[in-house]
Formats: sequence, C-alpha cells, structure tokens
Amino acid sequence: MDTAGPKRPTPITTEELMRYLDGESSPEERERVERGLESSTELQRELAMYRALKSDIQDLSFPPVNARNSVWDQVNTRLNRPFGWILLISGLVIWMVYGSWVFTTSAASPWEKIGTGAIAIGMLMLLASVIWERMRELETDPYRNVQR
Amino acid sequence: MQRQLELELIRKCKAGQSRFYEPLVRAYEPAGMRLAIAMMGNAEDAKDALQMAFIKTYDTLPRFDLRRPFGPWFFQILRNQCRDMLRSRKAKFTTEALDERLEQRPADVERGPERMRERNAAKELLWRGLEKIGTEHREILVLKELEGFRYSEIAQILEIPEGTVASRLYHARHALRQALVDMNAEYP
Repeated sequence: MDTAGPKRPTPITTEELMRYLDGESSPEERERVERGLESSTELQRELAMYRALKSDIQDLSFPPVNARNSVWDQVNTRLNRPFGWILLISGLVIWMVYGSWVFTTSAASPWEKIGTGAIAIGMLMLLASVIWERMRELETDPYRNVQR
Repeated sequence: MQRQLELELIRKCKAGQSRFYEPLVRAYEPAGMRLAIAMMGNAEDAKDALQMAFIKTYDTLPRFDLRRPFGPWFFQILRNQCRDMLRSRKAKFTTEALDERLEQRPADVERGPERMRERNAAKELLWRGLEKIGTEHREILVLKELEGFRYSEIAQILEIPEGTVASRLYHARHALRQALVDMNAEYP
C-alpha cells in the first residue's frame, strides 16, 4: 500500500524567479513558477516587488547624446594622432639626414663644419636628456593622473 | 544597426580605415553613455570612460572575431574601462552632477509640478540606492534593465558563466531593495 501523500512541489528558487521575471525561463520552468505563484501569496508579493524595481530602473532618464556632445571628435583625434606623429618624425629624420649630407659635402671650412656640428649635436643631446628625464619623472610622479 | 552593415564597417576599420568607425561610434554611443553614467554616476567621468573605451575598442579590432556580435564585446571593454577608472584615483561614483543634467521627459511636464517633484525625488532615491550597492551589483542591473541584454550576452560581457547570471541578478536586486528600504523608500 502506498502510504506517501500527494507529492509536495519543490519551492521556487530565487534563480527561477529571476529567470521568470526576465523572460529567460524554459516553457517547463515557466509553467512550474506559475503554479508556484498560484499557490503562494508570498511569492506573488516578491515578484511584484521585483517587477516594480525593474520598472523604476528602466524609467531612469539620462542626458541625451547628440552631435554636439558626441565623443566622436575626441575619438577621431586620438585615432589619427599617431599618423601625424609618424609623418612629423619621418619628415624631420629625412631633413636631418639630407641636411647633414649637404653640409658635410659642402665647400665650407673644416672649422665651420666642426663648430656647426658641435652646436647641432649639443642641442640634440640636451633635448634627448630633457625628454629622458621627463619620462623617468612620469613613471614615479604621484600626481600624473591629476587633471588640472 | 543591421548586422551585415556592422560587419562591413568593422572589416573596413580592421583594414585601417578609421573614418568607417564613426557610424559604429554614433550607433553605440547612447547605450554606452547610459551604461557609463550608471557605472560612474556622473556624465563627466562617463564621457571620459566612453571615449577611452571607443579608442581601446578600435585598437583591439584586429583581434576581434567577426563571428561574434560587436555589442557585447564593446560593452565588455567599456565595463572594464569604467571599473579601471573607479579603481584609480581619477574617478569615484558620484551622483552630484547628474540630477541637473537629466533629460526632462515631456510626460513629466504634463503631469504637473507636484508629480514631477515626486518622480524626481523617487529617481534621486533610486540613484542613491544604486550608489550604495557597489559596482558589481550596479553593472549587472544596468546591463539587464537599461540595455536589455539577454543572460547569455550579460555572461559574455561580465565574463561569468551563464548559469550564474540569474543568481547575480537576484543578489543585485535584493541589495538595491535593501538599500532603498534603509532609506525609507516603500516597496510592495
């Protein structure tokens, strides 16, 4: 003789309730949750509360995005900046190599060449040391992320 | 945006033609801005995060698998950018500047000043609640409720198993409800 009474349904889990609320349940799960809702006012109240919360979040308004405040201009500038640098540096290198070749093969006196060469090399070395120093400082600067 | 058109634009961008990136930016900017504002709490930081996310997305396009949808991939980068900014000293979730910039809906105006005040107060409370629950909870709520992503897409964006999305959503909603109750907001 079967002594067990009617089989009690297993309670609806919070995950099942969330999937039901978000329309992600399978047909079988949906049916099970709906049966659970029919028999539990507690579950009905919980679902109503989460529905209200969902609707309130969806009702939040945001600043509209239009052409005037779009980020495209800044993005475009940042995307194309490397090409500008590459062109500038390539141009400078070409001019320096060409200028050096013209200067060294010119008819100027050796003293003139040594003096001008020393000035040019000295300026380049100073510039390089300043850039190097600045880069080293940037690595350890605690205020590098502070915007003015 | 149509999938085919989107794919074509991505292919051109992958080939280095950055001018074809503009329609993609324009198409994803409003949704991106909503996610960024909800994560950062103010329009200023949200704009910075969005800008950086679009640049990073473009830079990583050569690695993008064309069989995957672009949206979740972009939102994953944006979400990581927002989190990085929140972690750094540069930004902190703050709703200070947000309320005055909120778009006024015509329906609100029609309902009269009293109703508008009530609605604004309720929204302010909700923002404060979102502020209280922390980034983890906030981001999943935004992806689900504001952007309407499916669980599978949320799992991809947040880099978590799909099976845990429902549970994460439950904890986020529960935390928000608790935060609102703590602020004396009434929920059924």
